[in-house]
Amino acid sequence: MSVETVSYEELIPGYKFPPATYELSSSLVSKYLDAVDSAGDGFVPPLAITACAIAAMTGSLSLPSDAIVIHASQELEFFKLVPIGATIECHIGVAQKITRSKMGMLILEFEVLDKSKDKVQSGKATIALPT
Amino acid sequence: MITEIQEGKALSPVVKHVTQEKINLYAEASGDFNPIHIDESFAAKTPLGGTIAHGMLNLAYVSEMMTSAFGQSWLSGGKLRAKFKEPARPGDTLTINGKIDCVEQKDDVSYANCIFECCNQKGETIVTGETIIKLLGDKE
Repeated sequence: MSVETVSYEELIPGYKFPPATYELSSSLVSKYLDAVDSAGDGFVPPLAITACAIAAMTGSLSLPSDAIVIHASQELEFFKLVPIGATIECHIGVAQKITRSKMGMLILEFEVLDKSKDKVQSGKATIALPT
Repeated sequence: MITEIQEGKALSPVVKHVTQEKINLYAEASGDFNPIHIDESFAAKTPLGGTIAHGMLNLAYVSEMMTSAFGQSWLSGGKLRAKFKEPARPGDTLTINGKIDCVEQKDDVSYANCIFECCNQKGETIVTGETIIKLLGDKE
């Protein structure tokens, strides 16, 4: 399945990336826990959910292959425990785009919903990249 | 879990060793394959001089500390604000420290405001930030 991509130049404030759905299977959670060197506690770690939300964006953003993307800051808010096996829907959009001489900065806002459309998490990421 | 919610109380620190293998595993788990994280020859030619860990990997360690201290209150009522100051690199040992900065009451609900810092073995600050935890049990 091909994923529609958008280039950095095409991004404008208000742009919404295509929503992405993830099934937080036990194998996905185990893989995440291995990577973060953690034992887990029976629920999906909230940062694993954030990683899905960010992946929803990076999967749709086309950047030059030599682009260095730097994560500058992150805000998160958690609303609900998410059980392993749950399905989530990630919505992410561009809140601000700032260009300064050779640097670009994107402020992205996201919201993650569960199957009942309840908000489980929201956040804001600031990423910097050379333009 | 932390037993006394009081100002100045230190949270149990988390210590993690960053390796390229862990960074690669994180790339697989998160789907973030930016070459600055996983391609050593590419990263060596950039101003960063080598691969760096994903910022979200560092934050996962912060979240582990918060989960150990506050359990479900963190997982379903936590807020975090973090700034990435320096990159974490393979070979680094990161120590995440935090403490309760203040405890506030709003509408009969208690909130613990914490500050945290993630430093490497050289004492350089990698991430700083603050968290707010809505303490369950007050009005739940």
